[in-house]
Amino acid sequence: MFDFDATAPLMAVQFLILMFLLNKVFYTPLSKVLDERADYIQSKEKDARQRLAQTKQLTQEYEKQLVGARKQSQEVIATAQAEAKKITADKLAEAQKLAQIQKEQVQQEIETQKQSAMATLEQQVDSLSRQILEKLLGAELVK
Amino acid sequence: MESLEGLSVINSFHLATIEVGKHFIWKIGSFTVHGQVFMTSWFVISVLLIASILATKNIQRVPQGIQNLMEYVLEFLRDLAKNQLGEKEYRPWLPFIGTLFLFIFVSNWSGALIPWKLIAIPGSELAAPTNDINTTVALALLTSLAYFYAGFSKKGLGYFANYIEPIPILLPIKILEDFTKPLSLSFRLFGNILADELVVAVLVFLVPLFIPLPLMALGLFTSAIQALVFATLAGAYIHEAIEGHDEEHGH
Repeated sequence: MFDFDATAPLMAVQFLILMFLLNKVFYTPLSKVLDERADYIQSKEKDARQRLAQTKQLTQEYEKQLVGARKQSQEVIATAQAEAKKITADKLAEAQKLAQIQKEQVQQEIETQKQSAMATLEQQVDSLSRQILEKLLGAELVK
Repeated sequence: MESLEGLSVINSFHLATIEVGKHFIWKIGSFTVHGQVFMTSWFVISVLLIASILATKNIQRVPQGIQNLMEYVLEFLRDLAKNQLGEKEYRPWLPFIGTLFLFIFVSNWSGALIPWKLIAIPGSELAAPTNDINTTVALALLTSLAYFYAGFSKKGLGYFANYIEPIPILLPIKILEDFTKPLSLSFRLFGNILADELVVAVLVFLVPLFIPLPLMALGLFTSAIQALVFATLAGAYIHEAIEGHDEEHGH
C-alpha cells in the first residue's frame, strides 16, 4: 500500500503542468471576464444612479418652477382684481360726483324758478288783492 | 489487508474483487511508475482541460451553458482562496489552490461515479488517482513547497522569524509542523478515499444490490469534503507563511 516510486514526482510534475495549462485556459480568461463584467455592472450602475439623481434634480427644479409660476399667476390675478376694483371704485365715485353736481344744479334751478315764481305770484297777489279791494270797495275808495 | 484479500478468493463476482496494493507497473528507465494511477489522472486532466477550453472558447458577457458552469466554479474557487488568503493576496495563489481543489475533486468523484473496475488492466484495477499514496504525497509536498515559496518570496530570510514568533519556545513544534503538515494532508486524503472505496467494495461483496447505495452517496460527500479540506488547508498554510507579524497588530 505504501510503495513509493517515481509516480510521486511525475505526478507532481503533471500537476504543475495541469496548473499551468488551467491558468492559461481557465483562470486567466474567465477571471478577466468576471472582472470585466463586474466593472461593466458597476459603471452601468453608477451611470444609472447618476441619471436618477439628475432626474430627481430636474424634477425638483421643475416643481420649484411650477410653484413659482403658480405664485406669479396668482399675483397677476390679484393685481388685476385690485386694479379692476380700483377702476370700478373710481368710475363709481366719478359718476356719483357728477350726479351730485347735476342734482345740485337742478336744485338751484328749481330754487331760482321757485323764487321767480314766488315773485310773480306775489305780484299777482298784489294785483289780485287790489282788484278784490276795488271790487269790494269800489274804485274811488281804493285810490 | 491480508484478510480482505483472503475474502476476495471466495468472491465469485468480478465486480466485487478487493485488491489493495497491486499496481500496473510501467518501467521508465530504472524507475517504476504506477500505470493505473496515470491512466485515470490523464482522464481527470483531460476532463478539466476540455471543460475549461469549451467554457472559454467563445466567451460572452452574458454566460451560457458550460461557460456559466465554469464561471460558477471559478467564483467558488475564488471565494475559497479569498477566505483563506484575503482579498489582497489571493490572486497569485488562485491557480494553485483552485487546481488542487479541481484535481482532487474530479479525481475523487471519478473514482466514486465511474465504474473504473469494469475496464480490465493487467495486474491491477483502475481507481481514483487520489487512491494512491504517491498522488497524495505529491500534492502534499507541492503544498509544502508552495508555502515555503510564498513565505520566502514575501519576506526573504525574514520568513525564519515565523519560527520564533510569538515565543521561541515553540521552535521545535514549528519545525515539526513542517513535517506534519504534508504528512497529515497526504494521509487524510489517501485514507479517506481508500477507506471509502474499500468500504463500498466490501459492502458490494457482501450484498451486491442496493445496500451499498447510501454508502456510495456518503462517499460522494466525503470525496467533495476532502477536496475542499485539502484546498482550504493549502490556502491556510500559505496564508500562515505570508502573513506578517506586523500586520497582525494592524488588524
